[in-house]
Amino acid sequence: MQPMGNVSDTHVVVVGGGGTGAAILYDLVQRGFKATLFERGELTCGSTGRHHGLLHSGARYVVKDRAVGRECMNEVRILKRIAPEAIEANRGVFVAFTEEEEAYRETFEEACAEADIPTQWLNADELLAMEPRLNPTLRGGVMVPDGTLDAYRLPMHFFAGARQLGAVIRNFARVESFVFEGRRIAGVTVRDLRTGTDETVACDLVINATGGWAGKLAAMADIDLPITPAPGTMLAHQGRLVNNIIERLRPASDGDILVPQRGLSIIGSTQWQSDDPDDCTVPDKDVDFLTRAAIDMVPDFKDTKYHKAWAAVRPLAGASSTEEEGRELSRDFDVRNHGTLDGVEGMLSLTGGKATTLRIMGEKTVDVVCGMFDVEVPCRTADEPLPNYRQFFRHGVLV
Amino acid sequence: MKERTVTVYRTAKKTVDEFTVPYNERTTILDALEYIRLQKDPDLMYRQSCHHGSCGTCGMAVNGEFVLSCIKRLADIPEDQAVRIEPLPTMHQIGDLAFDPAEFFNEFPDDIEYKRVSEVNTDAPVPRDMEHYERFESCIECGLCVTSCPVTEDWMGPAALASIHRMIEKNPDDADTWLDRAADKRGVERCTKDFSCSRVCPTGVAPGKRITLLGSMIKKREKARASEEKPE
Ligand SMILES: Cc1cc2nc3c(=O)[nH]c(=O)nc-3n(C[C@H](O)[C@H](O)[C@H](O)COP(=O)(O)OP(=O)(O)OC[C@H]3O[C@@H](n4cnc5c(N)ncnc54)[C@H](O)[C@@H]3O)c2cc1C
Ligand code: SF4
Ligand code: FES
Repeated sequence: MQPMGNVSDTHVVVVGGGGTGAAILYDLVQRGFKATLFERGELTCGSTGRHHGLLHSGARYVVKDRAVGRECMNEVRILKRIAPEAIEANRGVFVAFTEEEEAYRETFEEACAEADIPTQWLNADELLAMEPRLNPTLRGGVMVPDGTLDAYRLPMHFFAGARQLGAVIRNFARVESFVFEGRRIAGVTVRDLRTGTDETVACDLVINATGGWAGKLAAMADIDLPITPAPGTMLAHQGRLVNNIIERLRPASDGDILVPQRGLSIIGSTQWQSDDPDDCTVPDKDVDFLTRAAIDMVPDFKDTKYHKAWAAVRPLAGASSTEEEGRELSRDFDVRNHGTLDGVEGMLSLTGGKATTLRIMGEKTVDVVCGMFDVEVPCRTADEPLPNYRQFFRHGVLV
Repeated sequence: MKERTVTVYRTAKKTVDEFTVPYNERTTILDALEYIRLQKDPDLMYRQSCHHGSCGTCGMAVNGEFVLSCIKRLADIPEDQAVRIEPLPTMHQIGDLAFDPAEFFNEFPDDIEYKRVSEVNTDAPVPRDMEHYERFESCIECGLCVTSCPVTEDWMGPAALASIHRMIEKNPDDADTWLDRAADKRGVERCTKDFSCSRVCPTGVAPGKRITLLGSMIKKREKARASEEKPE
């Protein structure tokens, strides 16, 4: 893997070391930009490390939104190719446990077909042979190409790729404020937790990839980015009960995803709203609710041992605006150019997305960056296999 | 909620800070650290990612015991005991409880695979285009085994050797090349069979057993080679 050469001396600062930041950073340096990433804690310490680890084929969203479904499916195909070691590439089954759920089959299969998500109907006998621990009252299920992703190791593949191409990665480095030249952001002030000192880093562009914290970072530049943090709980028990992801054949709701990962079974999730993206205290009632929801699908869950309950924050795009201008729109995530939207030059913000769609978020964002700086280098992240996550560490300790 | 005092090692001061944290029966050491960082000291450094024992980032020493802080529960430490939280001693310290794991990761050979055949429902039919269901290896690369190991000489350490043994289990035909690596001067021969690695491992990898098995394979191979060389 070689960068295309120095197509640009443009220095881009990425704030936020989750999956989104990782994919943006990798894409930036692959297209020849100079790039530095700041993360206030360890890499992936935000929502990225903490989600269920469901690699979404898009089936979960497709009835509501074909475009999102198609996009997820496309990304699943790409990720299996470029980062196979980060994915338990089994399947997902949307199971009909009730008559109502069985009646949803046609709507679901039609939507999948329209979004190019392959499906296969399994009758009750076939499904129980495949997953003998499922609640035997089930009526059948639709198999789709869902899988389990390693929430830490998938983004670390992208960080490994970025580091190999010369990106600067600074963890335990918190962005505290922006340096302005008139109405244009010309740099960031960063607190390095290792040394306890503050420093200023000049740049041509800041990319806000802080997920649930995006509103807070934008506020430092006096930009109003309406984001409502919406945490959700997940519960892990010890024991792998299934090999396929088990979901319910009905519109997406709470407590309807059971993900096998290593020797664990993880059930999720719930959703509540909070003023504070850091507030991830698990409500007691969530644990009871999720336990019951898991037992409903896989009765043996009740005989497995509690391992951990924890929460992660979703950045809900609040008061989603009508201004389409200056905005690269995907239905799943937005790249917002604050120059055109808010009159503050030199900063883009990412909102929305999923762990599964990190690569395409990187691509869409860097397309916008290329447009801003008149750089014509196509994205290649879908074509080249990523280095293994362990390669990240071959470059030595981070400083 | 009940309250509890914990002491946390701070690099800058070369001493500990004391904090009072709320807890219930689910609260883990990592939850307590999150509380401290968010409510009392935003500069506290520690590693975390998954919060459920899968990523391997959050290893620490709690009252001298090497644990994953995300699953070690405060309620499991008797109330009359103090709670002392320190960094893993042998790791490359970068501040407070945080370390950089590069040296640890660099002991793993390049071509170690991270997936294996699932152990669940092995007789169940699989989708047409699949040979078997797969899953990630149990080793989450947390380094607790390496930290617990009493061997002080420079060596590959239990995690990397265990991963070599897993490669042989998965690909018996390639055993020779993997055994060559395990037979390195920095490999199996350094092990003193203390087995603290197996005791401390949070995911049951049993690195101690695997190193012993590698040792017997190497011996067996040496014997076989010696008898081949000796004409009857
Ligand atoms: C309950 C739940 C379950 C989910 N399950 C799935 C799933 O199964 N599959 C899936 O694909 N997606 C899932 N998601 C979505 C997924 O978790 C997110 O889309 C994804 O992790 C977002 O990544 P990110 O990089 O945008 O944000 P984050 O990972 O949150 O990264 C933002 C980073 O910015 C850092 N930061 C904040 N402020 C600053 C600052 N001032 N300076 C420096 N750094 C800063 C934070 O520390 C953080 O690490 C789930 C989400 C939730 C809430
Ligand atoms: S063998 Fe066990 S203790 Fe050692 S790194 Fe792997 S999971 Fe951690
Ligand atoms: S935070 Fe992932 S193992 Fe503890």
